[in-house]
Amino acid sequence: MGKATVIPFGPQHPVLPEPLHLDLVVEDEKVIEAIPQIGFVHRGLEKLVETRDYNQFIYVAERICGICAFGHSLGYAETVESLMGVEVPERAEYLRGIWHELSRIHSHILWLGLAADAFGFESLFMHCWRLRERVLSIFEATTGGRVIFSVVKVGGVTRDISADQFAEIKMTLEGIKDEYRQIVNTFMKDTSVKNRTVGVGYLSTEAALNASMVGPFARASNVPYDVRSLGRGAYGKLSDFQPIVDTQGDCYARVKVRANEVLQSIDIIEELIAGIPTGDISVPVKGSPAAGAQASNVVEQPRGECYYFARGNGTKYLDRMRMRTPTSQNLAGMVKALEGCELSDVNMIILTIDPCISCTER
Amino acid sequence: MEYRSDFSRCTIDELPALSSRLKAEGWRFVQMLCANTDDGIDMVYSFMKDGHLVNYEIKGVTKGDVVPSITNDFIAAFVFENESHDLFGVNISDIAIDFKGHFYDLAQAEPMTIISPAQKAAKEKAAKLAAAKAAKEKAAAAPQEDDAAAKQAELEAKLAAMDPEKAAKVRAAMEAKAKKEAAALAQAKEKALEEKLAGMDPEKAAKVRAAMAAKAAQAASAKKGGE
Amino acid sequence: MGGFKLGKMTLGSLFKKPETVMYPLETKPVPKGLKGCVENNVSACILCGICAKRCPCGAIVVDKKARTWTIDRFRCVQCGTCVAECPKSCLEMNPTRPKVAKEKSLVELHVPEPIAEPLQNPNG
Repeated sequence: MGKATVIPFGPQHPVLPEPLHLDLVVEDEKVIEAIPQIGFVHRGLEKLVETRDYNQFIYVAERICGICAFGHSLGYAETVESLMGVEVPERAEYLRGIWHELSRIHSHILWLGLAADAFGFESLFMHCWRLRERVLSIFEATTGGRVIFSVVKVGGVTRDISADQFAEIKMTLEGIKDEYRQIVNTFMKDTSVKNRTVGVGYLSTEAALNASMVGPFARASNVPYDVRSLGRGAYGKLSDFQPIVDTQGDCYARVKVRANEVLQSIDIIEELIAGIPTGDISVPVKGSPAAGAQASNVVEQPRGECYYFARGNGTKYLDRMRMRTPTSQNLAGMVKALEGCELSDVNMIILTIDPCISCTER
Repeated sequence: MEYRSDFSRCTIDELPALSSRLKAEGWRFVQMLCANTDDGIDMVYSFMKDGHLVNYEIKGVTKGDVVPSITNDFIAAFVFENESHDLFGVNISDIAIDFKGHFYDLAQAEPMTIISPAQKAAKEKAAKLAAAKAAKEKAAAAPQEDDAAAKQAELEAKLAAMDPEKAAKVRAAMEAKAKKEAAALAQAKEKALEEKLAGMDPEKAAKVRAAMAAKAAQAASAKKGGE
Repeated sequence: MGGFKLGKMTLGSLFKKPETVMYPLETKPVPKGLKGCVENNVSACILCGICAKRCPCGAIVVDKKARTWTIDRFRCVQCGTCVAECPKSCLEMNPTRPKVAKEKSLVELHVPEPIAEPLQNPNG
């Protein structure tokens, strides 16, 4: 047994996509304890809600995170709608669902690429991002933006998707599917990938439940929790929705869960496109949230459940807006998974929670 | 599973018992947040089980209060408890991973509790508006009152919402308008009467005129008496 | 188990057209629904200032006295609020990609005085 040493890891580190600092207490090559620290990019967006009216804040909410931009605008809009008792037209719900699932595809493929990059599989990384680019093109054609869409507003959406565009989306997704399966095959079966992921960062179901984990990280440890299965919005109209779970609880299982979720999302989009009703895409919203009115809401983002809380004060400004992002919930679980791992596996384990530190530091 | 979301009350003393009960029952910790209000900080703890989201609210936590940590039951709360301490200045004891105020290294202590003068003004205005609305509802709740009274109440409500200077101006304008209208009405009445009288024979007209003058004198004296 | 699972895809890529374009010599075609940048049709503008008021980032400044409508394209987030709120529908999103610039600059448009409308029927 060697002497315990503390290795500072991050916030600037080649494998970290975002500024997260970890104090790794290591003994020889084994990590005994990891203490996370964030706060390097805190922007005070929750405070900003007091000076932007509830219609304007949606554009701030989108900018919390570049990858889950749609999820944040959707979650924010839903919360304010429930605060004010606004019913969204059905077509808007479907459109929101379609865009939300598209952003899940793009987020997961991006993550798969980053994971490939983390274990040094450069060409796999590029193939992943090449596919992701096609999803971004769909976004560009339907919403007008690649990353920030600005299509959700309180009371509905601002843009409609035409039948031609739906056909195009379907065609693009079909095209992605085939190539995507080959990529997934590499992730699941390639020896060099398996060497880095199988058995690494194991987290049992009990540990995941104890750490109140959410998202694909929890589902890989056999916690069948997915907000979409609560059947809200367009998800309630799906014929069947089963969260994708895996029992192994290691990095390999997390890759597998995310890889399968992309295919599930493609199926969901196809079903939603087939069943989309005609009608209005938004309802006018007048007035402002009542003083003291409160609403809470959860949305399944690509990284997991995101919680929203809003409190009105009788003006068009909200008193308090809270977004609890999945990453801040998963930090405790990440610390658990890091305990007892090899130092060389640390980057892989951190990546498999799909950390979005900027999300966490609103 | 069906989604439900509730709000419920709680106190600081009940919190440890609540958290261990929820832990034993298998609830999942969702989040903890703080909201700055005039009478201290509101803390909201959220838990979820089978699609049922419950938010337990602790109202008005002040500087002196020590809030026990729930990290011994729900380790995931450490992020939020450190955050509450750094951004809101809530005193939380025994956090499992305690950064002692260095979770966020801030230039400004407790930035989330600062209210700018502009916000304060906006809040006061909102309170006035709310009072006005209440007054309006009160007026609407009393249907036996005649239309004019309701209108008056509505006006009062509107005036209450405005800033005092503007309200005074509006009031003056309204009074002037009312006077003008009354004068116009009286004039019209007189004119009509004159026309009527012109059509009658002179004797009768003189009688009516005398009666009218008497009536007016009576009304004037009655008014004086009333005052 | 086994290695070189990506082989088929990698080899295939050797003979395909590259997915990337040779920017700046070549640019990707602009999709129809692109948000682009906000343009003002000044002949219809009445300088009401609603766009400036609704803009979430304060990119638009309307000066009624000087009759100018100014937009800071570097502040604009292309949310489209001004276009949706404009009572005269004189604002629109022009689906072009904004030009790259070395310096930040403002775009100032002068709004001409409204021409007095000729009477419909001068004789009566």
